[in-house]
Amino acid sequence: MTILTVALKYLRGRLVATTLTAVSIALGVSLVVASVLLARGIKDGFIAGATDYNLVVGAKGSPTQLVLGVVFRMDLATPNIEDTIYQSLHQDPRVETAVPIGVGDAFRGFRYVATNSAYFAAFPWRRKTFALAAGKFFADDPPSEPAYEAVLGAEAARSTGLQIGDRFYEGEEMAEYPLTVVGILRPTHSADDRAIFFSLPSYWGMNEVARGMAVKPLTAVLIRPKRMSDLPSLNRELNISADTQAVLPSAVLLTIFNMMAVAENVLKMILAIVGIIVLLYVFVAMYSATMERRREIATMRALGARRATVFGIILAESAGLATVGGVVGLLAGHAIAYLAGLVLGQSGLVTNPFLFNPFEPVVLVSVILLGTLAGLLPAVLAYRTEVAENLAPLS
Amino acid sequence: MSEQSAVLLREVKKAFPLHGRQALEVLDLEHLALPAGSCTVLRGRSGSGKTTLLNLIAGVTVPTAGTIRIGGTDVVALSEARRDRFRAENVGYVFQTFNLVAALSALENVSLAMMFASVVPQREQRRRAGDLLTRLGLSERLAHKPAQLSRGEQQRVAIARALANSPPLVLADEPCASLDAKTADEVLAIFLAVCRQDKKTLLLVSHDEAALGGADRVIDMAELNRTEASSGSA
Repeated sequence: MTILTVALKYLRGRLVATTLTAVSIALGVSLVVASVLLARGIKDGFIAGATDYNLVVGAKGSPTQLVLGVVFRMDLATPNIEDTIYQSLHQDPRVETAVPIGVGDAFRGFRYVATNSAYFAAFPWRRKTFALAAGKFFADDPPSEPAYEAVLGAEAARSTGLQIGDRFYEGEEMAEYPLTVVGILRPTHSADDRAIFFSLPSYWGMNEVARGMAVKPLTAVLIRPKRMSDLPSLNRELNISADTQAVLPSAVLLTIFNMMAVAENVLKMILAIVGIIVLLYVFVAMYSATMERRREIATMRALGARRATVFGIILAESAGLATVGGVVGLLAGHAIAYLAGLVLGQSGLVTNPFLFNPFEPVVLVSVILLGTLAGLLPAVLAYRTEVAENLAPLS
Repeated sequence: MSEQSAVLLREVKKAFPLHGRQALEVLDLEHLALPAGSCTVLRGRSGSGKTTLLNLIAGVTVPTAGTIRIGGTDVVALSEARRDRFRAENVGYVFQTFNLVAALSALENVSLAMMFASVVPQREQRRRAGDLLTRLGLSERLAHKPAQLSRGEQQRVAIARALANSPPLVLADEPCASLDAKTADEVLAIFLAVCRQDKKTLLLVSHDEAALGGADRVIDMAELNRTEASSGSA
């Protein structure tokens, strides 16, 4: 027998109380872990989705709406710009890559995104890579002969059940222009997983107004300059224009993160309260256990146990409780983050809750230390237990 | 005589402080010597200082005055931590209400006492605990928790626990008071037999006729405790 085995036997001896306390700790820890994982996941999702291009060019209006609508598809699309803007940027010697984007309606909640093959190209500077799980990419068809071919993001394909060769449309008015699935993408863990991609000529062909327009409409153009030193001049020129605005996605991200910081501060306060509640749970559990057990503690002392030994048994019990609750809480936190990630994913945010976060060992050690701390007073009570007083025969 | 005594007390007094009043003296003892290997029964009315005397000898509490020597060691002079260690290795204690640890099995309760001393190596503790319980007729009850044992069985586990570290001195405070007469006789018989076989010095608080009959010596607290004598005559 050792102090640890006695402590574990005591924990097992009051299994219901031990389980309830451990579950309470686990709930608190899982809340902390899930919150941090989700906050991190949301930020990572924003960063991963926004950092491939340095400028987003669109119609005048809210920069945040432009980035959220075009890059993350979380907001309504901004008004259109003319295709000629894309053509001139494409020809601009300062531009390495220009990608036209037309954001349309949605099929069963999955946004139509019209673009060209450059969107999927594997440039060396791209963090995100597009690979096909099945089929092929749609062709860059000429405006006069739209192919109406669609490539589905992984989640869009999984959720709609559409397969290669399937034809689909949303609304009776579009029945005349059905899209045919020619490719399905592998997951990219970004908003692209929830998009339905097709060519700009198909996008214009499906829209009655666009069909009649000599200069075709676009929602935005994504820009990567050849040299970063060209970025300020491009940005300035596009913003001087009466029709367009150019937005640095990183600047919009900072705005979004600043807004999130307010929520994070509230979250931190809630988590601090959760920490205190966990501390109180362990304290109450260990205090009542120690008070109930004073006779047994006195007996151990009478058998020769030193004060430090009974002190150690109570502390080991607290630490054991906190360890079990902490480990279960970490696992539950990942599960909650996963479920919450699925819900958030429906609004365009995609997170990866399975990623190990370096703060997790810190949380676990903190919980064990807090749990042990909560057992300190009960342990001191055990330490100070008067033997003769507590061994008096029961009446 | 005193050179061969397992336990020797001289001019031992014990008083408990009372708030705002003079301390209450419960024990005033001139001399008590217990020969090694003897069985002594202590009897007296309730409140006569029997349990206090056992607690003093065990080192659970310290006297207000006087000396207590066990096997030549002055336990009063020891620090509390050393007294705890000395008690774990040299004194077995059997309580009236068994005081087994509810969360532990019979085997673990006996092993627990060995954890507090360095007499039995850890790898041998379970075997020794099993041997002791078997000797006390509990070979079929090793894995049972106290709540699953009869009162007689619980007290036999408590006796095994008191003998776990092979202490030369065993103290028992009315070990059969919580048992029915038949069970009390059985437990007492086995307890006395084991102590005799192992040549333990036994100090037993009891009013049981069987205990009185099996003792080398019976001491009446009214004669031993001068405080008791003076209050009794008043």
